[in-house]
This record gives sequence, C-alpha cells and structure tokens, in this order.
Amino acid sequence: MSKWRKKKTGMIEHPGIRERIGDVCIYLFLILCMLICIIPLWHTLMASLSDGQLLAAHTGVLQKWITADGTPNWSGYLKTLQYSDHAILKSYLITILYVIANVLCGLIINVTGAYVLYRKPKAAPALTIFIIISMMFNGGTVPTYMVIKSLGMTGTAWSLIIPSCTNAMFLIMVLNGFKQVPDSTIESAELDGAGHFTIMFRILLPQAKGLTLVTVINQAILTWNSWFEASIYVPNNKELWPLQLWIRQVVADNADIMSASTPDWNKYLVSYCVILIATVPVLLIMPFVQKQLQKGALLGAVKG
Amino acid sequence: MKSNSKPMIKKDSWKHDLKKNWALYLIFLIPASYFIIFKYIPMIGIMMAFEDYKVSKGLFHSKWVGMRNFIELFTGDQFPTALRNTCAMALMNLTFGFMAPVLLGLVIAQVRSKRVSRVVQTVTYMPYFVSAVVCCSLATELLKETGAISQFLSLFGLKEQNWLAVNSPVFWIINCCLGIWQGAGYSAIIYIAAINNISYDQYEAAAVDGANRFRRLIHITIPGVLPIIVMMFTMQIGLVFVTGFDKVLLIYMPSTYTFSDCLTTYTYRMAFGSSINFGLSTASGLFQSVVATILLIAGNKLSEKAAKVSMF
Repeated sequence: MSKWRKKKTGMIEHPGIRERIGDVCIYLFLILCMLICIIPLWHTLMASLSDGQLLAAHTGVLQKWITADGTPNWSGYLKTLQYSDHAILKSYLITILYVIANVLCGLIINVTGAYVLYRKPKAAPALTIFIIISMMFNGGTVPTYMVIKSLGMTGTAWSLIIPSCTNAMFLIMVLNGFKQVPDSTIESAELDGAGHFTIMFRILLPQAKGLTLVTVINQAILTWNSWFEASIYVPNNKELWPLQLWIRQVVADNADIMSASTPDWNKYLVSYCVILIATVPVLLIMPFVQKQLQKGALLGAVKG
Repeated sequence: MKSNSKPMIKKDSWKHDLKKNWALYLIFLIPASYFIIFKYIPMIGIMMAFEDYKVSKGLFHSKWVGMRNFIELFTGDQFPTALRNTCAMALMNLTFGFMAPVLLGLVIAQVRSKRVSRVVQTVTYMPYFVSAVVCCSLATELLKETGAISQFLSLFGLKEQNWLAVNSPVFWIINCCLGIWQGAGYSAIIYIAAINNISYDQYEAAAVDGANRFRRLIHITIPGVLPIIVMMFTMQIGLVFVTGFDKVLLIYMPSTYTFSDCLTTYTYRMAFGSSINFGLSTASGLFQSVVATILLIAGNKLSEKAAKVSMF
C-alpha cells in the first residue's frame, strides 16, 4: 500500500505549474549568485588581455578583451614578468618557498604535538589545555611584533615562515585524525621496535591523512594569501615581499601611471595580470581539494 | 625496561609516568616552544598596555603608567568613531552577513539535480580561495567611477562616483558585501549538509498530505536546520568583534575615516602608522580582545542553552 502511494503521489513525479515557477525562480537566483562570483574574475581576465589605453577609457564590465585588432594583447603579462627588475617573478618563487616552508614547519609541530597528546601521558589533559588556551587568548598584533622583533626575525624571511605556520585548531584537527587510528596498530608497531618518530610519520600520518591534508591545504592557502605579516615584518625588504603585497603595491601604483603625461599602458595592465597569476593556481587546485576541505569545514563547525 | 620490575613505584604516579614517557615529553618541547614563543610570550607583552612603552627601554624598564593609556584611548577623538564603526560593521556582519549563507544554502538545497547543485556549490565556494588583497583590488576596480558596479548603480539614478571614496555608511555596506562575496559559498556548505541530513520520509509524508514546496520548506526544512543555524549564530556572536575587519585595512582611506576607521585599523595605525604609540595600540588591542573574549563566552553560553552545543 505505502509503496503504491509513494509512486502515485511522490513529489518528484508531479511537479505542478507552481512548482515549475518555483524552479525557475530558484535557478534564476542561483545563476545570479554564480554570475556575481564569476564576473569580477572574468572582467580581470579580459582586462589583462586588453589594450591598456582602450581599457582605461572603457566603462562597465568587459565581456571580451578590447584591443584595436581584436586579438588578445599578451604584452601585459610580458611586462609583469619584467616588472621592476623581475621583482614579481622572484616574489612568485619566494611565495612558493614560504608556502612549502610554512606547511612543513606546521606539519612537524602539529604531528609531534598531536602524537604526544594521542599517546596520553599523564600530563596530556594539562598539555591540551595549554594548546587550547592559545586559541582563546592572544597577545595581539603589537606584542607579537615585539617578540618577533626582539628575536631578530624582522626584516628576514624567518618572520614569514615560522610565526604563523600553524595554530591550535590545526593541531587539534590532526589529533582528531590520529584518534581514529586504533591503539592496537600502535602497540604492534611498538612490539616491532618502532620508535616514536617512525610511529608518527610512518604509521599514524598515512592513516590519518584526510584531516592532516585539510590542515596542510588550509595552511598553504593561508600562507599564499597572506600579506599583513609581510607588511609589518618586512615592509622595507622588497626582495622578501610575498606576491599579495606586490599586488597591493601595483594596484596602488596604477593611479600614478594614469596621471603620467605619456602613460606606459602595458604597465597599467600589470595590476590585472598579477591578480590573475596569483589567483589562478589556487582556483585550479580548488576542485581537487574541495571535497576534503568541505569535510574539514563540517568537522571544524562541530568541533570548533 | 618493563614497568613491573620496580614494584615500589605506583603505576599511576607522576614518577612512573615520567619514567615511561620522558621521550614523549621531550618531543612535546617542539610544539611547546612554538606556542610559548609565539603565543604565550606575546600575552606577557600585554603589559605594554599599562606602560609608557619605549623601545629603547624595553618591556621591563619602561615607565608603569597604570590605566593612563586606557584613559587616553577612551577619551581620544578617534576612538568613539572607531568604536561606532566597529559596532556598525559587526552588526551588519551578524545580520546580513549571517543571513546570506543561510539563504544561499536553503536555495541550493532546493535544486533537485545533483550535478547542478554541485556546480553551483563549486562556483559560489570559489571566492573563498581568493585572497583578501585580490578581493579588495577587484572591489576597487569595480567600484571606481567607470567600474561595472558604479555603472550598474547609475542605471538606478545613483551618481557615478568612486564608491570607495564616499565618506558615508555606504562603506559599511561595501565591507559587508565583500565579506558575503568571499564567505557565503563556504559557510553555506554547513547548511546544505544539514538539510541533506533531514530524513527524506518527512518530505514525502508532507507531500502526501498535500504540502507544496514552500510549505515543506517552512515546516520541515527550516525547523530541521534551525539548531545548526542557532549554533552558527551564537558562534558568530563570539567572533563578530574579531573577524570581518581584515579587508577594511585594504580599502579604507584617510578621507573616509569617519565611517571606515574601526578598532582594528586604529590599533594598526597606532603601532605602524605615522604617529607611533605602542602603549596606546596595545591598550586598544587589549580592549578589543577583552570584548571579544566576553562575547565568545557569552556566545558559547547562549549556544549551550539554545542549541545544546558547546565549543569548549
């Protein structure tokens, strides 16, 4: 009886006219949302391939690049590569270096910390509180700056590598990953004579790679997108600037280019090009890590 | 060494623990030193808020001035503006900024096709990966006089102008919209997941009883996700003084300080701007984190009561 009813009046088989209207409204709304998300980036992409002078005179959003002869103008990208004695190119490489270094440092801290808490020595509850307190209170920007300054790290690449390589939440996430590994695995490994570091990196880490990966990806994106730390720790060392700080600089410089008597129009394009070369790699990686990150977001919401 | 070879030491004593786990404690020095140096020592630096801090004298030899920095902070001319703007922007983030992902999540969950739903989620999730600097550069580009948004608004009779340079509460709206653009798709995931967890039988039963989609939304979906919404809202209360101001520093300008200056930027200017006053800046930062901590605890209490979920 119930089976028959489901088939006969189930909600999918009979979308009435009102439901159809509802569908149309929903799709229109979602298309609008997607357009809002895409248009700014699309506009930037098209602007980067346009002719600088025509672009400056253009108003509104670009549907396609605008050049005199209709072919894309790549000289903006060429200019970006050469910009200020290859500074952007170098900064691109150094930003990759920052990401790798931060991820590695963070991984070492998270894995060692999580491992100790996972093995539950007697002081484990106290140590957990020690970690979590740093999540709730912090000294603030100025005292942190003072510590880093007194360590002699300001003006060096170290100030952008170690101080923000991890946080309490990431450590707890790795710990949550470890907790899913049964104790027996560790016990048998110990019987085989495995040391602490073998256990944490060779046994626990591979088995808890899901959540660890979430922290790694998050840390990588955080580092790639960070600019504030660099703006206070290495403001005068342009050779150490990460990419995001260059974007800020180049965009700010655009006004000066426009006000020059004979503007270098390709230089005007650099701001668009640099935005793209900084954003596209992250967006290309996104689809591959989206699922993991979404899982992480859900866990993060529940576990805080 | 087996632990039972020394029967004098109790198995659960600290001595036994230290003997057995000394290597673990040694390993813990790695994360502990990180947290002590970069998280705990700065907490001691809060002392600067009570000092007439001079870099040449250092933390322990600067003159102790008690609450003078705070008095200077609260009576300064820029503080009331910064506080008002902070509250206004926080309130907008808590209302519109909070509602946007809920709405997006509810609408995405209405889509029947799995593939369409996934595409929409991926696209709306994308801005989360765009950095704050890029996000603000895009805003600068679109909001300038000839920019797309200014042009669009001019269709409705609004003046063509650089909207970021307008010294009015419009700045609060812009900041809120930037936050929504960047975060709505990301935050919506939680609501979509919660909606997908609602048992399908309930919808079917309601459909059988003749409830149309809108009624099903009102009577099943919304009550079903309400606990999550309440939980996220209370968490948001705790964070409202902390998050959502990172982009202000990138888009504000001296000519719009009346409506764009907030505590975060004020603190920043006092420390790294042209007129440096580390004591005042630390005091301002401390005031901010005290308020934030109170809100965090209050939000958590509220969430315990309302949604039976606690963060700690």
